[in-house]
Amino acid sequence: MKRLDDEPTQSGNRTSLSGKLTNGDSVTQRNPVALLQGLRLCQEAWNPGSPWDRQGAHAALWGRQPGSFLVVSDSSSQNNLLCVSIDDQSKKVQDFPIIHTGSAQRLNTSHLAFSDLLQLVVFYTLSRDVLPLCLSVPSWVCGLTEQSELLAFPPGPKVWLCPTAEPLPETMSPGTPDTPDTVMCTIQLTAANGALCFINPLYLQEHGDDWLTHTSVSTTFTSRSFNPKRDRRLSMARAWPGAGLKKRAESLEDSSASYESSGSPVENPVSPVIPSGVVLRRASSTSTTDPLKRVSADSISPIPQSPHRVSWVEDKPWNPPAPSSLLHPPCLELDSLSMSSIEEETDVEPSASPSLVQNSPRLPLADKVKNRLSAVSQALGGLMNPQRRLSKRVQEMSERKGSAFAEALRGFVEQTLKTKATCVVTSTEILQEVRSSLTALREMLYDSSEIQSITDSFGDVPDFELDTIMEQVLHKVALKPVSTHLYESIKTARQQNGSLQQLQANQNTLKDKSLEELEGTAGAGVPDAAMLEKIQQRWATMHQQYSPQKKVDLLLKVCKNIYHSMTVNAKPGVVFGADDFLPCLTWVLLRSNVVTLQIDTDYMMELLDPSQLQGEGGYYLTSLYASLFYISSFRSRLATRQLSVEAQKSLSQWHRRRTLHCNQSRRSRNRRTIRRHRSGEKVNEDSEEVTASTSEEKKGQWTLDANDVTKRLQSLTESSGDEKEEKQNGRSVDLQ
Amino acid sequence: MSLRELKVCLLGDTGVGKSSIVCRFVEDNFDPNINPTIGASFMTKTVQYQNEHHKFLIWDTAGQERFRALAPMYYRGSAAAIIVYDITKEESFLTLKNWVKELHQHGPPNIVVAIAGNKCDLTDSREVPEKDAKDYADSIHAIFVETSAKNAININEIFTEISQKIPLLVTSDSGLKGLKLRRDQSDLTRERACC
Repeated sequence: MKRLDDEPTQSGNRTSLSGKLTNGDSVTQRNPVALLQGLRLCQEAWNPGSPWDRQGAHAALWGRQPGSFLVVSDSSSQNNLLCVSIDDQSKKVQDFPIIHTGSAQRLNTSHLAFSDLLQLVVFYTLSRDVLPLCLSVPSWVCGLTEQSELLAFPPGPKVWLCPTAEPLPETMSPGTPDTPDTVMCTIQLTAANGALCFINPLYLQEHGDDWLTHTSVSTTFTSRSFNPKRDRRLSMARAWPGAGLKKRAESLEDSSASYESSGSPVENPVSPVIPSGVVLRRASSTSTTDPLKRVSADSISPIPQSPHRVSWVEDKPWNPPAPSSLLHPPCLELDSLSMSSIEEETDVEPSASPSLVQNSPRLPLADKVKNRLSAVSQALGGLMNPQRRLSKRVQEMSERKGSAFAEALRGFVEQTLKTKATCVVTSTEILQEVRSSLTALREMLYDSSEIQSITDSFGDVPDFELDTIMEQVLHKVALKPVSTHLYESIKTARQQNGSLQQLQANQNTLKDKSLEELEGTAGAGVPDAAMLEKIQQRWATMHQQYSPQKKVDLLLKVCKNIYHSMTVNAKPGVVFGADDFLPCLTWVLLRSNVVTLQIDTDYMMELLDPSQLQGEGGYYLTSLYASLFYISSFRSRLATRQLSVEAQKSLSQWHRRRTLHCNQSRRSRNRRTIRRHRSGEKVNEDSEEVTASTSEEKKGQWTLDANDVTKRLQSLTESSGDEKEEKQNGRSVDLQ
Repeated sequence: MSLRELKVCLLGDTGVGKSSIVCRFVEDNFDPNINPTIGASFMTKTVQYQNEHHKFLIWDTAGQERFRALAPMYYRGSAAAIIVYDITKEESFLTLKNWVKELHQHGPPNIVVAIAGNKCDLTDSREVPEKDAKDYADSIHAIFVETSAKNAININEIFTEISQKIPLLVTSDSGLKGLKLRRDQSDLTRERACC
């Protein structure tokens, strides 16, 4: 037994941790630091901004997997509200107000205070305390890293709540050790062998951490058998997402009940084992002279907590890793939990760390908390995910002298930087050139065996996702060096043809128009000064991004803000569609830097992979494009006729551009088919044929579209004399 | 089961209830697997049709006259268009006819057209007789239903009929290739998964 305790197998360690977290989510099998980091990186997803309120959260949580949660701000009390889906059968959603007291935050029904929301949430994913169940976190969260290229599209609440959504492919490689669980940061301490304990920084601040040494007396627990069998069974049940709601509901009743049901008759639910070690709450209720009592005296009732309120989880005695020479020196800046810097540097192969920890001799816990921080960097070594590896590899390839990819990339950058917008070469043409180069470079990467070995490890990632990842990676090496130059080119070109001047002039004409004058619906609000300020900041951030995908993401955030402003004072139940949104967007644009926005819009429109234009991002990008187009083509009544012809001309150009892109896409589709073959998988011959034939058809359609627009232009010119009919149809586009 | 993404564009005068119809459609059988979108201008819903999943990507357009020139940006690439009019406003029915004309001339070829006479709960103030609208719809081979977003009448039916009218993949013609491509992708993925 002792041996097992000391040197758990890797899987034993993994299962023992999950086995103890009886009512936690499977995500807790992962590294808590990864969880903390993941939650921090996707905070927007679970703690969405202002458009979300209690009502919205309830609607979104309704019927979700139990434990699903959102934190939204409560408009009535100014406090945050933790909304948790309790039971997906009865569709119950419960609110738990989060109270701010000084520098601490706590649930109003609990006495456990945390220094920030993130820590509070992490705590409640691991322990339920006053909640009916632990918060559940989608498993992909643990895989998020700062460098995760996919963060360009930070997941929103919708992805967050979707139980099946996997915005990121599995990022923890199968061999990722769990042993770096031994980490210590501001809120948590986790021993290598599975004891997990939370230390509130507020407490440390006041009382230091000497009391941690008290752990050494906690030997009672060693007698508890480590039962790998039981633990494995538990973990299997947990790892199986469809384990059944009934089982889950049981565990919600009482955490100790699930111990019982999971085959550990030794456990008595009525008298939970009381460890004497690093257990804040237990200790405080057992001895009034205990130093721990001091912290908790005011916050914890003297009555022993009911079993399901345990705020700690422990299976084995506190067993810190040795501060071996291999550990990094203490780094206090980790307090901020900004792990990116470390991750940037560490490139530890996952297999390196477990042996280290296993071999470390047991030492009494005597060091300051800060020393434990060193373990964090180790833990992070294992977090290197496939995307990151891909990004790193592409970066390497781009720097490798003489490699074909590096040469092609260099050629592209040089060529692009040389190209200047002139009267002959429009910005659109330049951007199209860039787009086709991007596609060609992407193909090159796909063809490289180095990259294939990484993409193969991605597992069953759909092609379009793979494309997205590859695009992101490519943007970093290819677009980053040229983006500023491209902005200049777009600007020059648009100045030369006068469209920017036109846009600005019309902005001046229209900027004082109210929403009603822009034909906005009465009842829809416009952003107030503060929101407008926020939007301006977002636009500025958007301009700074070199990746068109990241730009679209920020655009979506702005649109969300606009929607929020529209609905905030509206009557409940009113639905705002495009009739309301487009005028409101126009109203916002008239108060923004339209020149920069036009440049960014062109940039996104031309450089985004066309396959990404179908969804929500495509819709709102189209709206932005349309709205800017509306402003720049606004004319007084006299010039109306000319407008529509110009409008159509511009549209036809737009169609043509899409045509070009689609032909490129066609090539990449074919590539994919090849890739499949290469990876030795059977590809149904039929589907291959269909792929090829649809591509041809697709090409056909685009050509048709362009023809169509030309035809349309002709018909417009023909009918331009017939002003009467035009007016009857109310076709004239003007404001008066 | 394969997934097809179908872009559906909503056209019609402002105030006829375009977005209400979509909201009703999307929210009625609330599916926790469908993620809420930012707003009602763009919504999605996946329904099962025979052995396929149809994911409707619903693009709303601004119905105001002055934004009319912008519509082509929205309806390009659509597999279907739902043109909505208000049965209590004859004018909105005239606008509808213009949209039909425009789509036939400039819309994607073989786009499935559905006509929805909304607010059919307000029979007292009806201005457009159902028969007139039905006859017109038949003459252009369009789907026709009278709907009430308010009372949830015939909302799902429009989309079901669209699903039915979308050409099957094998025999489909040039109207749907973008969507077909996606389907092929998911097919491939599926096959890979089981091999």
